[in-house]
Amino acid sequence: MLELMWENVPFLLKGAYYTLYITIVSMFFGLIIGLIVAVARLKGNRPVRWLARMYVSIIRGTPVLVQIAVIYYGLDDYGISFGSLTAACLALSINTGAYLSETFRGAILAVPQGQTEAAYATGMSPGQTMWRIILPQAVRIAIAPMGNTFVGMLKETSLVSFIGVSELMRQAQLLQAQYLLYMPFLLEIGLMYWIMSIGFSAILERVEKRLARAY
Amino acid sequence: MKTRKKGFLVTTLMAVALFSLVLSACGTKPEASNTSNGAGSSNVAASNQLEAIKKAGVIKVGMMGTYPPYNFLNDNKELDGFDVDIAKELAKRIGVKPEFTAQEFSGLVPSLQKKKFDAVISQVTITEDRKKAIDFTEPYITNNVNIIVNSKTNDITKLEDFKGKTIGVGLGTNDESYLRNEVLPKVGDFEIKTYDDVITSLKDLNSGRIDATINNLYALKPIIDKNGFQIKAVGEPIKSDQAGVAINQKTPELKEALNKALKEMKEDGTYKTIFKKWFGEEPKE
Repeated sequence: MLELMWENVPFLLKGAYYTLYITIVSMFFGLIIGLIVAVARLKGNRPVRWLARMYVSIIRGTPVLVQIAVIYYGLDDYGISFGSLTAACLALSINTGAYLSETFRGAILAVPQGQTEAAYATGMSPGQTMWRIILPQAVRIAIAPMGNTFVGMLKETSLVSFIGVSELMRQAQLLQAQYLLYMPFLLEIGLMYWIMSIGFSAILERVEKRLARAY
Repeated sequence: MKTRKKGFLVTTLMAVALFSLVLSACGTKPEASNTSNGAGSSNVAASNQLEAIKKAGVIKVGMMGTYPPYNFLNDNKELDGFDVDIAKELAKRIGVKPEFTAQEFSGLVPSLQKKKFDAVISQVTITEDRKKAIDFTEPYITNNVNIIVNSKTNDITKLEDFKGKTIGVGLGTNDESYLRNEVLPKVGDFEIKTYDDVITSLKDLNSGRIDATINNLYALKPIIDKNGFQIKAVGEPIKSDQAGVAINQKTPELKEALNKALKEMKEDGTYKTIFKKWFGEEPKE
């Protein structure tokens, strides 16, 4: 049994590569979307605020699997066609973006009002205040909950096997059908997901320590 | 201190620029695929699919990849099996290479319709309902479908015995619609449990989570041989299905080329060799 698990490590690592790829790409775009949406919700005019709120509400209120299917199959009805990997990254970016925007919004609000007042007093514009004073402090506050979202998303990538991406879960399914065995491969990919999430946690911890240094 | 803040701003701006670049890249994609969706232009674009395949040098084939001996991973971690050999042979005869994608059965036909694949070669049974949405080549295999139960089960030998039981079946398969639309109204209440692959349904049958399933006999052999599932086929075949290569509608050139290749395979004996290799017997005509 152990031999079988060991033998199939390279095959599963191929899946892990896609899992990591999707996670990192979606994290990156999710961060950007989250930041933009958070600022839009706090500083935008009324229609912009409303749009941002709707986005967060819809994405958080519907299952990721539905979102993946909408992007892969649904949009195709209207001539917007993505490959399965692109669709996976897009769906998860949009999904993470919504969660992260709430994290950022909370973090921005957590920066004391006095900071803004002080920045204005030195003659900074609202934009400068946001970019130079508020956001750098907010990111520090947001790091820990961001870690939650990232690790959550790492595991949610398993859902994209649904649209034929050969990520970790899908590779395991193929092995299960090949050897007609379940537990060894489930344990194996469980371990791989766990190791990857430990990796992410370690990276985030370092980032957190770094940002915790006094300015 | 100042440089660090600047760095933050620069990274953010770069990220935004990159993001808009990707978005604009995505924006151009629809135009490419649009041609096959418009009603007016569809004939021109779609009838060139064979040409498109030849030009790409690759035919994209979708299959489950979890259905031995039809399609599954071999020890070299390559897709292998009867369907795979048929697909390879077809591709060779068209003069292109096959590119396989493994996906749950329920997603295969939608993906075909959305042009993610050129063909689905995964025991897709030819049915009138499916013909409304997709097209098929001539059949390349006939499968007898039987009732399959746990070896300890003795009270199920025919469809009428399903009453009050839990029956497993592949989600989105022809067998599922057969159970729902034909057997269920006739036999009366039984519960249908759907699965994304055949192995899981047989595993559940082995462990007693379901009372019976229906499937074809070729699919059973490797599973019983390999890990000794305590399952058996009972009674006479309940139906006989023909599977074809599923392709999109309005692709007559592709259909014709595939049919021609199938016919040649049967005539020169290649088909018989492939059939014997996987099922250990001669194909029944």
